Amino acid sequence: MNRSQRIYKSIVLTVIIALFAVHISYGQKVVRYHLYVKDTMVNFTGKEKRAIAVNGQIPMPTLTFTEGDTAEIYVHNEMKENTSLHWHGVFLPNQEDGVPYLTQMPIEPGETYIYRFPIIQHGTHWYHSHSGLQEQLGMYGSMILNKRANDPTFRKGIDDLPTVPVVLSEWTDYNPNNVERMLHNASDWFAIKKGATQSYSEAIKAGHFKTKVKNEWKRMLAMDVSDVYYDRFLMNGKNQSTLSQLKTGEKVRLRISNGGASTNFWLTYAGGKITVVANDGNDVEPVEVDRLLIAVSETYDLVVSIPAENTAYEFLATPEDRTKSASLYVGSGTKQLISPLPRLKYFEGMKMMNGMMKMNGDLDDMGMNMSLNQMDMNVVMYPEITGEANKKDKGASGDQDEHANHSMPSMEDQYNSNKLSDIVTLNYAMLQSPENTTLPEGPVRELRFELTGNMNRYVWSLDNKVVSEADKILIRKGENVRIIMYNNSMMRHPMHLHGHDFRVLNGKGKNAPLKNIIDIMPMETDTLEFNANVYGDWFFHCHILYHMMSGMGRVIGYENQPKNPLIKNPRSAQRKLFSDDRHFHFMAENDFATNGNDGMLMFQNTRWSLGTEWRLGYNDMHGYETETHIGRYIGKMQWLMPFIGFDWRYRKMGIDEQEENLFGQSNTKDNRTQFSLGVAYTLPMLLILETEVFHDGNVRVQLMREDIPVTKRARMALMINSDKEYMVGLRYILAKNIGLRAHYDSDMGFGVGMNLNY
Amino acid sequence: MLLSFQSFSAQVDNSKTSTVKIYGNCGMCESAIEKAGNVKKVATVEWNKDSKIATLTYDSVKTNQDEILRRIALAGYDSEHFFAPDEAYAKLPACCHYERAKAATHKDEAMANSTINKPEAGMHDHSAMTSQDKNQLKAVYEGYFSLKDALIKSDGSAASAKAKDLLAAINAVKMETLKPEEHTVWMKVKEDVTTDAEHITETKEVSHQRDHFTTLSKNMYQLIKVSKNDAPVYYQHCPMYNDGKGADWLSKESAIKNPYYGSQMLSCGKTVETIN
Repeated sequence: MNRSQRIYKSIVLTVIIALFAVHISYGQKVVRYHLYVKDTMVNFTGKEKRAIAVNGQIPMPTLTFTEGDTAEIYVHNEMKENTSLHWHGVFLPNQEDGVPYLTQMPIEPGETYIYRFPIIQHGTHWYHSHSGLQEQLGMYGSMILNKRANDPTFRKGIDDLPTVPVVLSEWTDYNPNNVERMLHNASDWFAIKKGATQSYSEAIKAGHFKTKVKNEWKRMLAMDVSDVYYDRFLMNGKNQSTLSQLKTGEKVRLRISNGGASTNFWLTYAGGKITVVANDGNDVEPVEVDRLLIAVSETYDLVVSIPAENTAYEFLATPEDRTKSASLYVGSGTKQLISPLPRLKYFEGMKMMNGMMKMNGDLDDMGMNMSLNQMDMNVVMYPEITGEANKKDKGASGDQDEHANHSMPSMEDQYNSNKLSDIVTLNYAMLQSPENTTLPEGPVRELRFELTGNMNRYVWSLDNKVVSEADKILIRKGENVRIIMYNNSMMRHPMHLHGHDFRVLNGKGKNAPLKNIIDIMPMETDTLEFNANVYGDWFFHCHILYHMMSGMGRVIGYENQPKNPLIKNPRSAQRKLFSDDRHFHFMAENDFATNGNDGMLMFQNTRWSLGTEWRLGYNDMHGYETETHIGRYIGKMQWLMPFIGFDWRYRKMGIDEQEENLFGQSNTKDNRTQFSLGVAYTLPMLLILETEVFHDGNVRVQLMREDIPVTKRARMALMINSDKEYMVGLRYILAKNIGLRAHYDSDMGFGVGMNLNY
Repeated sequence: MLLSFQSFSAQVDNSKTSTVKIYGNCGMCESAIEKAGNVKKVATVEWNKDSKIATLTYDSVKTNQDEILRRIALAGYDSEHFFAPDEAYAKLPACCHYERAKAATHKDEAMANSTINKPEAGMHDHSAMTSQDKNQLKAVYEGYFSLKDALIKSDGSAASAKAKDLLAAINAVKMETLKPEEHTVWMKVKEDVTTDAEHITETKEVSHQRDHFTTLSKNMYQLIKVSKNDAPVYYQHCPMYNDGKGADWLSKESAIKNPYYGSQMLSCGKTVETIN
């Protein structure tokens, strides 16, 4: 796979300095690294794309320390943009934590910045940029903190095994800023690329028409387990690689970090069971499993063995959406493959979602107390657990209802992966710390969070507030903070706390495991607790990069804490921090058709929307009109949007001579300039009902739906209003930004054309 | 000749050719191997079933030998560089079950892991069951239970494989050593259970397998009632199957796990009789 690995190092000198810039001065036990951050071009897919390499490599170099060392890391920013580095899961003074505008000011272009902190723990950790979307471009790397040789917790047979750091990640040829923009614009291009459109024709073919209708009735878009389509999945920067230095019968400890920006990975191994020995840098009692899911930004230490001679066993990392995978072959010789995970049964997933979604957008757990990933609703989509999809099952849904009458199957059994099959899947309830992790005595503070959001507008929040809308949460040093989280959104979220490890209350009593990430699935409730023992402003957020950037997080600070000397102007720093989720996303579309131009332009952020639509004919008969709306989305699901508008229209009476609307009001259709007040509401079936009052007293009611997924690539649009105007259209998506469109408009007649969108 | 060569090479740019041994048996293997390896305009595979040698022609900029061989291995065919996953090999049609090069111990282990209830040690070893005092129908029952477990998982190919084991166990029964009452029932049901088991083997369609499982279960019930069992066996009933006509099955566990609906209706049903 050389071709995908060529990273162009433009300045040879940099590389020479960079390759091994580690100086260890034994007297002080200071371990020093130099990191040169530089723009680079990479070629993972056959196309040259921009990425960021550190010391000429992706992932960033593995940093190794031993407990008791002092880390001294020089970051040389050789890019044209700001950067920062966050030491994920590492206990350190707040000002070394690496969150720009919160714990430090960003590292400017050309600047050399020094992070210096004592290493006071051991375990598998990692580091990444906390600036913008740089993590997606290659800024992730392993950080291994070894135990001291005389550590009382040293485990023979585990801590003395050969270890290999592995960092998982993903690559997209799209610019991450564009990925973020497309997510906010509810583009379904990623679903098309994944083959996960779940259109009406696909639903009918799979015998799931009713499921699809119910899904849209409940105002949901096609469901998926992840948001972004990626071109490549990588382990240590490679799609396929081999650990050939290992011999038969040997065991190896893989220190795995998930450095993916938005991908959870399934981990499976062709050479037998996987033994989990540590999680998020903390030892756990060894537990044998067949597979596990590593959520975004988690770390796991896994022990695997090489059972037979002259064979290399495939260690497979499969993204949750199962579109592709990455392989690491452990051992040397012929490569023993493991079965790839079969494709998801999306319509089963849709049916499951329908069942748990209430009409108001809340989730209904039907009395199941879900937590710790033990019950996984997604098993309905996994063929290896619940069997292959049965095509056109003879009225399966009908059967189900009748059955419910006489003997309700136990809910828990239906979703408990380990009870349904002989495949052992790790869940958080199986993790146990070898140590007593009870917190010191102290007052308890309870914090409750509801994880909220909606996929349609890609807004993710806590208690329906994004970072910039919420106050800093203040805790007191010495107290024990208990966090109770309930996930009322449709996606899973790996929630990460900076600077502290928390205990996950998972039924293991005193030996509750310590973690700094918890992946919380829809409808789950998890309880965490930690001792507030280090001053500072600490970020607590969802680690899916695009969720974090849209504001899913909080700042947790301490009462009466000393000021951070690195933040000279806290007010302007805070404004910068908040700008991430206040950011407006731009979207534009125009249809160049035989009967005129149809298009729109939109700027949107978490709450606000500014949009202009136009219909421009080629002559006065067809007319010209524009409508501009400035509105604010209300509520958690954002179905309601009051707006103020401005309309302008000019035309000579055309094809459809309507001067009176349905309410008997006449309108100055030919030449009109109007202000309006209105409200848009998303009805079941995702129909948008828009009611508008113009300043001359005219009222207009309009019903509209765009993007009805007819087939994988065909989208239908419908519009009708009380001015007796109507439109029907059909668009066929050719590529990300281009489509063919045919439509009939009551003003402008029939037209075909080319649709361009951004 | 020259013309044809040109037209061939025009299909794959930056063409590179290599030969490699791929294990397989028959014409069916040939088409499966070539289908798995070929990618339009990128890679062409031609496999010779006599020499077992494949000629790979591929665009060396877009792909490489390992990528092609990996795809072929995932379809069930071993090569010098890749061993197929055991499940992929097991799914090949019977005629394609070529002799594998890799160590057998590993394969057996994988097979044992893939069954739900760990089978009794003697289950596959029919000679061990000829002794008079050991209930020699036990292998038949175990075969039946494994089949039932495969149906619970709605796994058609596993069910087909388990039915094959069951069939082997049925054929291994020495009628003359059966106890008189067992003998009578065995005479009565043997033909039917054989037919049902055969049908289940022949298809991978779970719904069809379940149809046969209804009559198979009825006959097994008659048999197990007159047999001496080490542990209680539960006769269980699902009232909904077959448009409400209902169906029965036998299980070693009292908890309901419905083989007629699997995960759809896992715990639908009730125990109607406990056979000791």
